[in-house]
Amino acid sequence: MSFKRPTLGVITNFQHGVFQRAVIDGIRQIADLHSFDVLVDSIAEDGAPTRPVSLDIMALGGLAVISNAIPDDQIRGYQASGVPLALISHQIPGTTIPAVVTDNGQGMARLMRHLVGECGRRRIVFIRGLADQTDAHEREVGFQREIMRYMLDLPPEFMIDGDFSPETAAQSMRALLNQRQDFDAVLAADYLMGIAALDVLTQAGVNVPGAVCVAGYGDGSESESRGLTTVAADVIEQGRRGARQLMGQMRGLTMRGVTVLSTHLIPRQTTVAQ
Amino acid sequence: MEVRKATRQDLKRHNRLSLLRAVYYGLADNRAALAVATGLTKPTVSELAAELIAEGFLVEGGIGGSTEMGGKPPRLLNFVSDARQVIGVSVDGLEVRAILVNLKGQSVAEHTAPLDGKTGAEAVTILIETINGLVAQLDAPLLAVSVGVPGVVDSEAGIVKRSPLLAWYDLALADTLFAQYDCPAYIANNTELAALGQVARGNADTREDHNRVTLLINGTVEVGVTVQGAVYHRGGDIGAMRYLPHGRTDAIPLADVLGWRAVEYRAQELRRDYPNTRLPATGLTYLHIRHAAGLKDPAAELLLDELAAVLSIAVVWSIALLRPHTIVLAGQVADLGDLLIARLRYHAAERLSIDDIAAVHFTLASGLNLSARGAVVMAVHNELEIL
Repeated sequence: MSFKRPTLGVITNFQHGVFQRAVIDGIRQIADLHSFDVLVDSIAEDGAPTRPVSLDIMALGGLAVISNAIPDDQIRGYQASGVPLALISHQIPGTTIPAVVTDNGQGMARLMRHLVGECGRRRIVFIRGLADQTDAHEREVGFQREIMRYMLDLPPEFMIDGDFSPETAAQSMRALLNQRQDFDAVLAADYLMGIAALDVLTQAGVNVPGAVCVAGYGDGSESESRGLTTVAADVIEQGRRGARQLMGQMRGLTMRGVTVLSTHLIPRQTTVAQ
Repeated sequence: MEVRKATRQDLKRHNRLSLLRAVYYGLADNRAALAVATGLTKPTVSELAAELIAEGFLVEGGIGGSTEMGGKPPRLLNFVSDARQVIGVSVDGLEVRAILVNLKGQSVAEHTAPLDGKTGAEAVTILIETINGLVAQLDAPLLAVSVGVPGVVDSEAGIVKRSPLLAWYDLALADTLFAQYDCPAYIANNTELAALGQVARGNADTREDHNRVTLLINGTVEVGVTVQGAVYHRGGDIGAMRYLPHGRTDAIPLADVLGWRAVEYRAQELRRDYPNTRLPATGLTYLHIRHAAGLKDPAAELLLDELAAVLSIAVVWSIALLRPHTIVLAGQVADLGDLLIARLRYHAAERLSIDDIAAVHFTLASGLNLSARGAVVMAVHNELEIL
């Protein structure tokens, strides 16, 4: 198959997700500037089982893969075929494939500085993301680093599962509330899980932020409307940076490593009393 | 020393930069004021301003107030921060960190790549492929590339004289970068640049505070010195300096104790001696050491004390020779925090008087991009005499 115009491919696991949509928007912006088309292959739409990639990889000018959407070995195979690649929000250790990631460690440090330094919280519950996702892993490691930096106590039951699913996060939050209530903050690996925790706490009559502060990683319209404190990087920019990596490779630049985007704190009512 | 006569080009460059500096620092915002601020004639100012506008460094925007004589209000000139971009890089023994900034030093993007133990020509390739990661992100013409490396560097000649960590010897790195990117390329010692970056950032409160020694501990140990705000250009890698540990008969290099790989190795040894230690078997960081030491973990306390004892050798010599007001501990080692400073003071006091130690202010600079930022400052200052 060949395309009428040069084309960038995007492989994602859910093109309508808030994050994925913003990344794809960013890729399209740069593609438009260079008169490229963008073809999106969403291989596991809305919870459906993952299906094989349908893009004709060799006909593409370049390919962006979002958040571990396909196995690393498959991506290594694409690299061997010579197609320019960019990874968004994940990396493959031991390869030279360039990637664009947000600085999860810096983001967690910023959130913890806010919770500990500015809000005076010391007993913080963490809601994990999906164990096999790079972002989830880095945010958890970042959280634990900050726990050490501030010399805080972290009982094992304060690390609860969320799997990047608001339902799972709510369930874990309820279970923890039934077990113990001696925490003074909840930090979620993404903002949708943070909102789910906020709902559970509010329904249980817990004073937020008086008794418990709540914050989450990433930002969207939902966190703004619910007053959830977050840290966020510009996700559209993440897409733009990835597309630029592809354009650079297409004009002959050999590159390796990761482009890292910083995050900024967005303090709202769930940590700052109005 | 031979003194070269200034040429017409030199004079023009000087005048252009005077003009640009005056606008950048807010000394003047229109052609008439620029003539007063720079001492140049009005026709010269107009000609140079037109050039700088054409090249994108200045832009006309808005109208100023009328003069006291009721003359025509002047057109205002503004500095364009995004007219050019600069890539600043720091290479240590572990990775390449590169930043892309505009002419006000504001970060546009960061790009990093691990060295994975590579040295020599392979490390040069990784350096270039990392810089390429930011070349792909350029929004404006590239003003310069500037690189900090560990070791002894001849900045004027653009040659890495000796960098054992990277196995770079007499490497004409600036020429390689110039050939690659067709723009001015600068190189300097990492710690010198870290010191420069701190001075330029205005971290110092007083002139006296500008007398500082920066000890950068990454893959090796490097020293940078600023005296009265100016960078002393003979700093460098002291990781190869040997010392005789207590109870041993053979001297070992400082880097063999303070370099990160040595710290990991020593932690492994201590885990065998202290099986219940909180030091993790994998993924060890300085924060783990600090946290465990803070909880009175004997292995972590011992490790931290050993690091402080060896680092105190460099600290003591710095104090004895230079009497700095401030000693900055830079790099990831800063994560050891106040515990490290307390142990350093203790060990330094074994060799110098307590008064000498007390007179020195110790600070921590954990910013990973300190040297890369210094590299940017050097390049922008050399090219445009600003920042």
